[in-house]
Formats: sequence, C-alpha cells, structure tokens
Amino acid sequence: MNRRTFIAQAGAAVAGAALVSSASDWPPSKPDVQLEIAPLTLEIARGRVVHTVAYNGRVPGPLIRWPEGKPIVIAVVNRTSIPEIVHWHGLEIPSEMDGAAEEGSPMIPPGAEFRYAFTPRPAGFRWYHTHSFAGHDLKRGGYTGQFGCFYIERKSQAGAYDQEIFLTLHDWNAYLVAGSDSSMDAGYDYSTIDDRMLGFGDPLKVCGGQRILLHILNASASLIHWLALAGHELTVVAMDGNPVPAPSSVPAIRLAPAERLDVVVTMNHPGIWILGETRDEMRKIGMGIVVEYANQHGKPRWIDPPETSWDYRRFAKPQATIREPDQIIPLRFESKFHGQGAVASWTINGKSFPNTDTITLREGQRYRLQMINRSGDDHPLHLHRHTFEVTTLNSQPLAGLNKDVVIVPAKTTGEVDFVANNPGATLFHCHNQTHMDFGFMALFRYV
Amino acid sequence: MIVFLFCTGSARAQDNYEIQVYPSETMAPKTLLIELHSNFTVEGTTTTQFGMLPTEHQAHETIELTQGINDWSEVGFYIFTAAKNGNGIDWVGDHIRPRVRVPPRWHWPVGVSLSSEFGYARPAFSNPTWSWQFMPIVDQSIGRWYWSVNGTMVWNIHVVPPPVIFTPEEKQAYYRDVAPQGVTFGPAATLTYAPSKYYNIGIEYYSYYGQWGNFVSLHNQQQQFFPVVNLFVSPKWEINLGAGWGATAGTDHLIVKGIVGRYFDWSHHRAGGSKSTQ
Repeated sequence: MNRRTFIAQAGAAVAGAALVSSASDWPPSKPDVQLEIAPLTLEIARGRVVHTVAYNGRVPGPLIRWPEGKPIVIAVVNRTSIPEIVHWHGLEIPSEMDGAAEEGSPMIPPGAEFRYAFTPRPAGFRWYHTHSFAGHDLKRGGYTGQFGCFYIERKSQAGAYDQEIFLTLHDWNAYLVAGSDSSMDAGYDYSTIDDRMLGFGDPLKVCGGQRILLHILNASASLIHWLALAGHELTVVAMDGNPVPAPSSVPAIRLAPAERLDVVVTMNHPGIWILGETRDEMRKIGMGIVVEYANQHGKPRWIDPPETSWDYRRFAKPQATIREPDQIIPLRFESKFHGQGAVASWTINGKSFPNTDTITLREGQRYRLQMINRSGDDHPLHLHRHTFEVTTLNSQPLAGLNKDVVIVPAKTTGEVDFVANNPGATLFHCHNQTHMDFGFMALFRYV
Repeated sequence: MIVFLFCTGSARAQDNYEIQVYPSETMAPKTLLIELHSNFTVEGTTTTQFGMLPTEHQAHETIELTQGINDWSEVGFYIFTAAKNGNGIDWVGDHIRPRVRVPPRWHWPVGVSLSSEFGYARPAFSNPTWSWQFMPIVDQSIGRWYWSVNGTMVWNIHVVPPPVIFTPEEKQAYYRDVAPQGVTFGPAATLTYAPSKYYNIGIEYYSYYGQWGNFVSLHNQQQQFFPVVNLFVSPKWEINLGAGWGATAGTDHLIVKGIVGRYFDWSHHRAGGSKSTQ
C-alpha cells in the first residue's frame, strides 16, 4: 500500500459515513465561508498561462480572517474530477476536521461538498491548502494553486503598523529534474508572488514613513525561497503565526515550504523597488513584486542584499532554558535510492509511510522529537494540529521559538518539543510534496 | 596492405588521450571541473607508423578543465601529454571545447547537447594535427539505467602528407584509410546501471568508422569496449575506472583508463545561504 491507495481507502470509508453531501445540496444553510475547488487557467504574465486548480477561481484563495475562538463553518465543494481535501495548516483542531486523510478527515469526492466546522485557534497567521497526493503527477496536490491565507485575529490586535499585506510565494509548471541528492526532484518553469510574475502584477503601493506589516507565506510545493526588499531591512516579528521572542532585522528572509513570516518594514527609502528572490535566476522566472512609493517614478530597482545565512536562534530567547521532556522520540530520516532517473523514496526510522511505525502519545505529556536527518537534503518538517517549540538546531540549543514547520538541514539533527494537548490522530511529515508522497510521513496516535 | 594495418595507430591516437563518453548535462555556472584522464596501452602498436610513435606501453595524461558558463553552456580545455619509457614526457597538444545543451526547462524527453572541439596535436602523436570535432550528444536516465550516445564527427583540417615514395594507389589508400582529409565518423556510447547512489557499473563503446561515405572495412575499424565503474564518493569528486578491449585488428587490444575529477565552486556562496542554489 502506498500513500495514494491509503488516501483512496480513507476517503472512501469516510464518504460512506455520509459526512460528504452532494454539491447539488449547496447551500442547505449558509456557511461562513465557501470554497469551490475547480480548474483554473491563470495568466501569470503576458502570454504565460498556467493550467491549474484553485479555490474560488483565484490564486491565492480568498483570505479568511476570523476572530480567535469563534466557531466557523467552511463549505468546500469539489468541482474537479478527482477527490480533494483541504488542510487547515497550523490550526489546533480535531483530526476529522484537520484535512488530512491519513488522520481520518474525509476526501471530498468529485462533485461533492464537505463542511469543515471548527473553532479556529491559536491566533496568528495560518493557511489552508490541499493535502492530496500528487506522486509523479506534478499537476496535482501542492503543485497546484490550491492554497490561501487564514488569519486568526487576536482578541486584542497590537496594530503597530500602517498597512497590512498578505503575500504568497508559489512555483509553477513543475517537472522532474536531477536533484541535489542523486535522485530526481521537482524543478519549475515559473515563480510568482500571489498570481503574477515579477513585473506583471499591480505594485504594492506605500507611502514614505509607513510601517508595513507583511504576512508572507511560502506555498511552494518543494522550494525554499529567500526574499529581500531592495534598500530596506526586514524585521521578523512572528514565525508561523507565533510572535518571536526577539524580533530582529535582517537583510533577507528565508522561508521553507509552508513556513510563514510576519515582517515589519519601515518605508524609509523612497523609490520604486523590487521585493524579490535574492537569487537572480529565481527573480528571472518571476519571483518578485514591485514596491512603489507614492509620487515616485521610474523603473523598479533591485539591490543585492549582503549574502545572508538563516539562523533561527537570532529570533529566539537569548538564554535557552528548556524543560526536559517526558519522552524523547528519535526520528531518523533517510532516502532510498531508486536511480538517478527516478524519485527517491523516504523513510522514517527505516520505514516508508504508510508502513512507518505509529508513535503513541499520552495527553498532557511533553515530547521531544529528535529529528536526525541523515540525507543530503534540507527538510521542512511539519507537525499537524500542534505547535512545537524549537529546542535544538545544528547542536545549538534555543528556546521560545514556537512553530509548526522547521527546517532540519542535511546531515544535522534538530529537536522540537511539544505538549500532547490535542487528542486525535496527528500527522508528521516533510512539507516537500515529493518527499511526503514518497514515504516521508508518520502518524502519531493518542492512547 | 601495409596501409590498412597502419591505420590502427593513426586514426585512434587522438581519441586515446581522453577516453570518455559525454553526458548532455553541462557544468553549472561558476563551477570548474578539473579532470585528470590517465590511460595506459597494455597492448597496442609496436612500431613507428608514418612518423607516429608506437602506442604499446604508452601512458597518456590529459588535464581537462571545464568551466560552466550558464545553465546551458560550458567551455572545456585540454592539455594532452604522453609518456613512454625512453621517450620521457611529451606535450602532445591542446584542444578547446565549447558545448551547449537544450536547457531542462524545455522539457525534452531526452537530454541533448552539441559539443564542438577544436585544436592541435603534434604529428608524432596524432594524425590529423589540426582537427575540429562536432559531437551531438543524446542521453537519458531511466530509473537506475543511464544511456548516452555521442555521435563523434571530426573534420581533419590538416593531415600529415603520405611519404613521397608512395605510389598514387598507396597515396589514395592512405588518404582513405589512414588520414582522411574530410569528415570522419566514430560514435561512442555508454550504458550504465546504478545499484547505489554511490556508484554505477556499465559499458562504454568507442569506435572509428572512417570517412563519411567511405568507411574503412570492419577489420580496420576501431571497435573498443570498456567495462567501467563510476564512483560518486562525494559531490565534489568523480571517478571513472575502466579497461578497454579492442575487438578488431584496427584497435589497440588492451587499454586501462582512469578519470579523476574535482569540482570547484567559484561562486563563493555559502551553502544554504541567500545566494546559494544548493
């Protein structure tokens, strides 16, 4: 059994339980949010069109802003020809609503509707996206335009900014190409911020002296992206929706697939600038957007920022005092070579999903995931339905950094702690779509 | 008749300095690959032929420098040398080799590139001396298997004239079989299987058919097969080892070869940093 058959069986089982209704019932009563999954032809630049699947005919899907603690009903209708599912990433909600078939959430058959009902928490910048299998079909799953931002508003908003902007990064037209670890991996023809390549969308309009709060999501299926705003520093104030203990200014920011950063920029350098990928070849294929000060004219300018290394510790507590966990769970990641002309499969403790060992949790216990990356790739690791605290990276301790995705670099070990406070099946996986589709997943269950 | 025998040493000589089947992939931009091609002819020609030294027990050392230009082109440069007991080490010649490929973003089902190699080699070691090689390359990885075909065509710009004592018939045979003045054809190919990401095993094929439209007889063609192993012990190193068996009278009967290559990244970007593509 592979992930595809696992999902198909899970979807069929739940569909049989009548949780999914026919789309013709739409809407029996008005939900708070409606999402329609449907094919979309998207012009990302003049004459450059991608054929994808998206929510409500747009990329990204509609921004969902919702007060923390207020129940929400989201009706999702699937107008495609294959089963789909929507995962509410970073939300601490029940397994059957989380939107991962591996946890027991239902797949939505073609033509059917499913209503997700939950109480969004915790506050902060979350997102939603498809959690379906793509495998060798790089027109499915995370390679599509099925993603959107979900902002859960705190009961008291700080509001120390003049303008708030949501930006999503995505890569398009994936194809298999020789990867960094002797196997095939996804490469892309185009990149966009939101739905446009650099130079083809509306600019971000700002005024001198403003403080801009950027909510930036990397919705790429597999690529890590670096961003800089020419002539400006970026102050990271939150990661994955959670405020960081030590907001810091950096010349460039790094986002792994599924990572989010809240960044404050003081607009103190009037001009027409590019907010774009730091790597020239990525800007050339579209990863960037123009930032235009009021009353400024001319061509957009790019200034290379100083070369930057990303260190999570910069944003963590200066003194790391970590409570010892009740249990350490070692997770060893390795790739299985199938040829330079094939995609590698992935194992956790020697087994590929769905054959990976199920890890048992007890409610209220504090666990440490000891993630031993023996592969030659950096992996963005994601834990569903829980928030973890990053406690060790590259053998360096850190504290106070609460996230739901963290990169564990190649040939290193990273550790994160979490409290088992949300009973139900919980998925843990690499957020690189190719890796997760080829075995890089494990299921946690409460006992 | 003697001419036919001699063609074994002349037409093959240049190729024996870098015995390699090329992939279609080009070197990454700002990356330099330095390779040392070493080969030793265990069993080859034993007499001087048309001024060319015997190949048996001759060792060839070639330094190849390949610099990536962008994601679809590179330039290679060769320094050929030869050594033989009693003859010391000799500079043989130099070649320059620009190569372009179909970029991966074109999504072709196979890799395709075109190599063009131009240069000079001393007449004691090669005939022709000046040559221009065109080589379309097609390759593909399918699972653990990999194949590549190099359609090597060489324009012999300058060949060593035949001895003045040759009769018109012998001269005609010389230009046909030993040192054609036109374009010659000699495809090469490889097929490998990778049991592990750290090595593959396979076979390489090298040949010389003769002048386009006027191939020499099979007996006098070069047909050479190398069982090889390629080692990928580190992303910075490449190693190729093989032993070649000549299947025709026109081929050196046994050659052992080795290629050791080291990659150098000139971008000076920190791995994982904001400018790194790794």
